[in-house]
Amino acid sequence: MRIRRFPTAGSAGVVAAALVLAGCAGAGGGAAGQSDPTLDIATMTFPQSLDPVTAIGGALPFFQAAYDSLVKREPDGAYSPMLATGWTWDTDRTKLSLTLRDDVRFDDGTPFDAAAVKANLERFKASSGANAKWLSGLERVEVIDATRVVLHLDAPDPAYLYYLSDAAGLMANPAAFADAERLKTTPDGTGPYELDAAQTVVGTKWVYRRADDYWGERLPFDGVTMTVFDNETAIVNGLKTGQIDTAVVQDANQQASLEGATTLTTTPVDFDYQGILLFDRAGVVTPELADVRVRQALNHAIDRKTMLEQIRRGKGAVTSQVFGADTVAYDESLDSYYAHDPEKAKQLLAEAGHADGFELKMPRMTSIVSDAIAASLQSDLADVGITLTWVDVDQGDALRRIFQDREFSGFVMNNGQPATDWLAIKDLVLPGTFNVFGYTDETVRSLVPKIQAAQAEDALDELRALNRHLVEDAWFVPFYRMTYALVTDGGVTALPQSGMAVPSLYNYQPTG
Amino acid sequence: MLRFAVRRLAAGLFLLFVVSFVSFVLLSVPNLDVARQLLGQSAPQHAVDAKTAELGLDQPILARYAQWLGDALAGDLGTSWFTSENVLTAIGHRLPVTLSLMLGVTLVTAVLAFLLGVWAGVRRGAVDRIVQVLGVVGYALPGFLVTLVIVLVFAVQLRWFPAIGYIPLTTSVPGWLSTVTLPILSLSVAAVAGVSQQVRSSVIDVLRQDYVRTLRARGLPPGRVLFRHVLRNAAAPALTVLGMQFVGLLGGAVLVEQIFGLPGIGSMTVTYTTRGDTPVIMGLVMTTVVCVVVINLGVDLLVGWLNPKARAA
Repeated sequence: MRIRRFPTAGSAGVVAAALVLAGCAGAGGGAAGQSDPTLDIATMTFPQSLDPVTAIGGALPFFQAAYDSLVKREPDGAYSPMLATGWTWDTDRTKLSLTLRDDVRFDDGTPFDAAAVKANLERFKASSGANAKWLSGLERVEVIDATRVVLHLDAPDPAYLYYLSDAAGLMANPAAFADAERLKTTPDGTGPYELDAAQTVVGTKWVYRRADDYWGERLPFDGVTMTVFDNETAIVNGLKTGQIDTAVVQDANQQASLEGATTLTTTPVDFDYQGILLFDRAGVVTPELADVRVRQALNHAIDRKTMLEQIRRGKGAVTSQVFGADTVAYDESLDSYYAHDPEKAKQLLAEAGHADGFELKMPRMTSIVSDAIAASLQSDLADVGITLTWVDVDQGDALRRIFQDREFSGFVMNNGQPATDWLAIKDLVLPGTFNVFGYTDETVRSLVPKIQAAQAEDALDELRALNRHLVEDAWFVPFYRMTYALVTDGGVTALPQSGMAVPSLYNYQPTG
Repeated sequence: MLRFAVRRLAAGLFLLFVVSFVSFVLLSVPNLDVARQLLGQSAPQHAVDAKTAELGLDQPILARYAQWLGDALAGDLGTSWFTSENVLTAIGHRLPVTLSLMLGVTLVTAVLAFLLGVWAGVRRGAVDRIVQVLGVVGYALPGFLVTLVIVLVFAVQLRWFPAIGYIPLTTSVPGWLSTVTLPILSLSVAAVAGVSQQVRSSVIDVLRQDYVRTLRARGLPPGRVLFRHVLRNAAAPALTVLGMQFVGLLGGAVLVEQIFGLPGIGSMTVTYTTRGDTPVIMGLVMTTVVCVVVINLGVDLLVGWLNPKARAA
């Protein structure tokens, strides 16, 4: 909700005053003290296109404006009905039955029904979208009748409701699939807003206007503008001057610069953690890492507390676990499992037969590994005898060398912590994605099937045991969870979204 | 004059072709793994391979260049790999933003730099020393520092101008002025400092010429000597510098565009080059070359008009 107050500048002369007044009126806001019903969101993430198959987490609000999902994800991560009014699993959790609304139509009159769900899910699975892999286990979609559909899976997948509340659940008009190029820039969904193509500048600013015939509960804003910036300095200045209603500010220094702004409200958001994503536990590239004591030594060598203070001004919380605080597997006591203890690290290295240390090569992407982080890690590891050699790579090159060529034993990255346990397990523990060498062990092999066959809440003991095992066996070297700031001006309130860096579009409300 | 202009235009077309080829090859050298960037780290290799083929990146460089050139000659610069936006449309949206800055800065620079330079060159003494000191300070101040101070003082603290954003001229003239004033001010500091020194030197050089002494000796009024004879000859080198400044702003406005959140082609160039979005980068390169050719032609014609001897060069 934009409230503009650019005071007149009599002292600046006639020209400046005229410009000031012009700026007040021309920049789109109301006069001082008035508010307009448009929500102005600033972000540094933008969608590749508005075709749902390309949707990814940080850009989800762009899609939520124009599309509804089968399942709605509430701010606390709970699932509630949206286009699907209900769902049930069969006993072996490989058949998910959905009941659908019968009163929803796309703009051209095409009904939203079971056939539309089948067409969307099959298209999503077959696409080259970043999240298409989510539906790799979807064997077929069975249409029972217009409002009932059954998803047949080749194996249980506890994250399925998450997928259907995220990119995979966004329902587009099947009639639009024939012209996929058009769908990239012209969304065709049943969502609460419609894209205002005349005001939208793709790549810079997306403008949405309320869909008057929306079937569901009206969101409180008549319009939503999402503007993409390539730096947080501009976002912070926009927040301070009331030109932006809300944004998530990640950089610790930018967060600090907001501390004196009394008109802004800041809510902490914990999503990303930073650490060494170690995946060479079999010692393929760096043989020393095959010894658990060496991996534990790495963990003891890192001075997490000092890094957090120096690099992020203390904005975050040190941790030794990769599971986020919103997951069932999270165990608060594991955050402090590896204390900074260089002597113990040296002792562990000596016991492993590496008292003279060894060399660890890691790729350095300067967008993540700043000079401060690079120097800090080199210094901490050098203290225990490990020579950390940074290999400078640009981002695109790094992805190929890490994931395709398997050139490194691990790398420092900022990784999101999903609120859904199974997502974390699929990404980090199972062979694939971030387990490029496919490493596993007996404990993981015994726990994962039990976790996979149950809802997370029913597998608490197994999830906690898995988390503890990963920490004790030093599968990773996490440093800290990074606290971001969800900033809103005086006219808007926003709730953080569990498991996402940015709030869902449904989480914003005007103040008062 | 016409032959001169046609010759320059032909050279410009040749330049356009050469730059397009060299740029395309250079963009193809680094293996940025665009497909994986698009699909994310966790995408399976078969999906990455499929995307690579979809983008045509599995084809030889020459085949890809021939395809791009053919499409470009037909007026189709393609679609952004990362935003699915038509390249011509994307540049069409952003070019007016940068052109607004370039024209504004050039106008401010032309007026202020010529006034200061002529004043210093003619008056000399204390005035000259003050202008020189201001010139050195203005040129030496880091651009980012000047921009940050300007935005903090005039936008964040005083709220006289918006801190971010751009309002098109077609939407609101006052609104447009309000959004480009601070960026133009930021960019003008160094530009005025540089060009005013060039004007000053040129004016002093011309004032020392024999023909000026002769004109004065013949009793021509000082104003007529200055405006009709001295400035006409002193303007040529300053115009060349001004033209170079103008061209430099095509890329040099990046920082200002970023700090003010202006959706211009400067910040666009940085963003898309980092990603390796070849269709957009090629479109930007072509746009820049066309601008450079047109501006240089304009400057050459102007200099030629001021000094006919230059046309023979």
